[in-house]
Amino acid sequence: MTAREQLATRPRIQPRRAAAPPAPPPRRRPNHAAAVLVTPYVLLLLVGGIIPVGYAVVKSLQNESETGFGGLSSYARVTADFRFVETFTNVALVLCVWLPVMLTTVVILALLIDASSRRFGATMRFVYYLPGSLAGIANFMLWLFLLNPGQSPVDFLWDGFGYTSLNEVAQPDNLPFILAAMLFFQGAGTWIIVLCGGLNGIPDELLEAARVDGATARAVVWHVKLPMLRPWLGYMTLLNLAYGFQLFLEPQVLSQVTHGLISPQWTPNQLSFTYAYQILDTPAAAAMSVILLLVTLSLGLLVIHRSRLFQDER
Amino acid sequence: MTGVRKRRVWAAAALAAACLLAGGCRAVEGAGTAQDATDSGGPITVWVDPPRVPAVNAFQKAFPHIPVEVNTINGNVGSTELQQKFVLFNQAGKGWPDAIFFPSNDDIAWATSSKINYARDLGVDLAEILAGYPASVIDQCRIDERFRCLRNDAAPDVFWYDQVLLDEWGYDPPTTWEEYEALSLRIAAEHPGHLTGFLGDAYAPDRYLWSSGCPTNDASSEKHVRIALSDERCVRVQQLLDRLLTAGALSPTGIFSPDAAALGRRLVMSPGAVWWGNFLFRDTWKVPPGRITAGKPLRWSTDATPMTGSEGGGLWGFSRHIKGTQLDNVLTFARFVAADPRWQVDLSVGLPGYKPLQKPWLAKQKQARYLADFDRAAEAFVFATTIVRPDRDYTRYNTGTVWTHTITPALTSDKPFAAAWRQFGERLTQEARSFGYTVQSS
Repeated sequence: MTAREQLATRPRIQPRRAAAPPAPPPRRRPNHAAAVLVTPYVLLLLVGGIIPVGYAVVKSLQNESETGFGGLSSYARVTADFRFVETFTNVALVLCVWLPVMLTTVVILALLIDASSRRFGATMRFVYYLPGSLAGIANFMLWLFLLNPGQSPVDFLWDGFGYTSLNEVAQPDNLPFILAAMLFFQGAGTWIIVLCGGLNGIPDELLEAARVDGATARAVVWHVKLPMLRPWLGYMTLLNLAYGFQLFLEPQVLSQVTHGLISPQWTPNQLSFTYAYQILDTPAAAAMSVILLLVTLSLGLLVIHRSRLFQDER
Repeated sequence: MTGVRKRRVWAAAALAAACLLAGGCRAVEGAGTAQDATDSGGPITVWVDPPRVPAVNAFQKAFPHIPVEVNTINGNVGSTELQQKFVLFNQAGKGWPDAIFFPSNDDIAWATSSKINYARDLGVDLAEILAGYPASVIDQCRIDERFRCLRNDAAPDVFWYDQVLLDEWGYDPPTTWEEYEALSLRIAAEHPGHLTGFLGDAYAPDRYLWSSGCPTNDASSEKHVRIALSDERCVRVQQLLDRLLTAGALSPTGIFSPDAAALGRRLVMSPGAVWWGNFLFRDTWKVPPGRITAGKPLRWSTDATPMTGSEGGGLWGFSRHIKGTQLDNVLTFARFVAADPRWQVDLSVGLPGYKPLQKPWLAKQKQARYLADFDRAAEAFVFATTIVRPDRDYTRYNTGTVWTHTITPALTSDKPFAAAWRQFGERLTQEARSFGYTVQSS
């Protein structure tokens, strides 16, 4: 049996299947344990997910003065807003730059770590993780220094573009690239570790079989490792897509530090925020959130379907 | 149910339906003390940005028997978090500060909107204080014929220039916009690298458009505004700026930008607010003493009377949700921050809006010996406070923010000013509409 045939015929997550007993013992009562384990999650899901979504849906169906049923009028208001399409275009631009770079780089680096000697690989994994270890606002502050010519260690780069001030670097046309770079360095390290975990999970006998069959290193990567990584890549795409659509903090703070050079309604989330707290039209803000949820959900389902993310569980 | 009762119920239902159709019949409370007002028995809570903390400290020293809780808020102009808090206070029915220094002047628009309706009418309680303001300084606080805020400092635009450089080069300081343009073009040609203005900050439309009378914020009610960039008074200033930009006389940078520090030292002249002297020239750009002075605001030679714009000049607002002793104490605080020399003269960095304190403040500034020709500048300051152009209101949309994300990026990336101007006009109108304004564009 060639490695490819073996791959095609074996169940995906073998260890789990193999470890499962052939039939449950008749008097076992697993439901209680499962319930105990799942309850905290379900509670959190209710409080942090289902109830807010329900509230948003109800709120979005109110009329503008929040005194009664308004049908889909708030959806009409928000989709007719002159910034509506623009905010989605902005996020799409960021995703177009960020996701392909993120996916390919993370995969390549994870494969290189996997192929390296144990100690070197572990060191590199740690090094790659470092930029992402600065969370949230700390990471952002670091980026402000990077972006500011004169203070930046990559000043030569800004020089090359002819930029001499933060406002020239952070001008709106450059924002998709800047945000993509921020998101990349923030997340890449973590995802390299996740993918390394995925690569470690590939059974040695499978790789051995491929090599015995005469597969070159490149063929092992292409025909064994990458297909095995597919669900992980799907998972990564899924979470990053969701994160990308929820962009808020980075453009918001960048708008403040550039004294308004970036529109305060650059992403859909910011537009929703504006409706809630400036325009004071809560139903429209809720409608925007629901639209955002629908977009993210549909894209998520598409990714799950295309990457066969949960195929094993079926 | 009897027939009469039935009819009453139907009438009530019909009234309710009519109310809903008409946009809600929530009782309009007006601008006086709110129905839900409470009395703490004395203690007051005030919210101020960091530069106004000394005002509260001075008040506590002057009135030690009034307990004050101070909350320092984000002083960034254009930040939106404040409004968000007030929305939540209105929902909760509590939590409002008793007095607040608004970090952005536009904040007064939402604070007096029918939805938030926070700032109380001061017309009766503080009549004696209001009478001490020049009409054009307090005009923006007069909303629907009620006085809803007090000016902290007056910030009219005057004309700043480097007297040493102009003398050295043999130029007279301009007095009209036309002369300003001619001299700017000359300086750009004869002394390249020197500047005669900044265009990239949120105050630039106040400096240039407000001064010219260009209608960007001419609100006749909470729901109606006139934005007419095709008006002749807009066109003249747009064309002037275009010619100066083409000649390289103006910088696309904003006055608050870190890059402006180096450029500021090469600024030969510019219209600018009264506070530019201490805050920008002296403290931020570190221009040596004895160089800079100010003349009267530039005037358009075609205008019958001289008029100017205004950049900032903070506003104080006071809560409608208090009464009794708490309200009395807040009014004492209001009188102190607006009109007491222990704050306005001894500590405040801006020219007092309250006229009786302007002279003592100027006398104190003269001792600092920073400006080149202080008496000339002082005369210009006081004169400027009397000629701030009316018909320019603080609105729910922020004209400065629209300016900085349309005009500034375009100029930063060398795009033509005319196109950026068009985009500014379109976005301004769209933004006003998104806040529910009906926009009159002619």
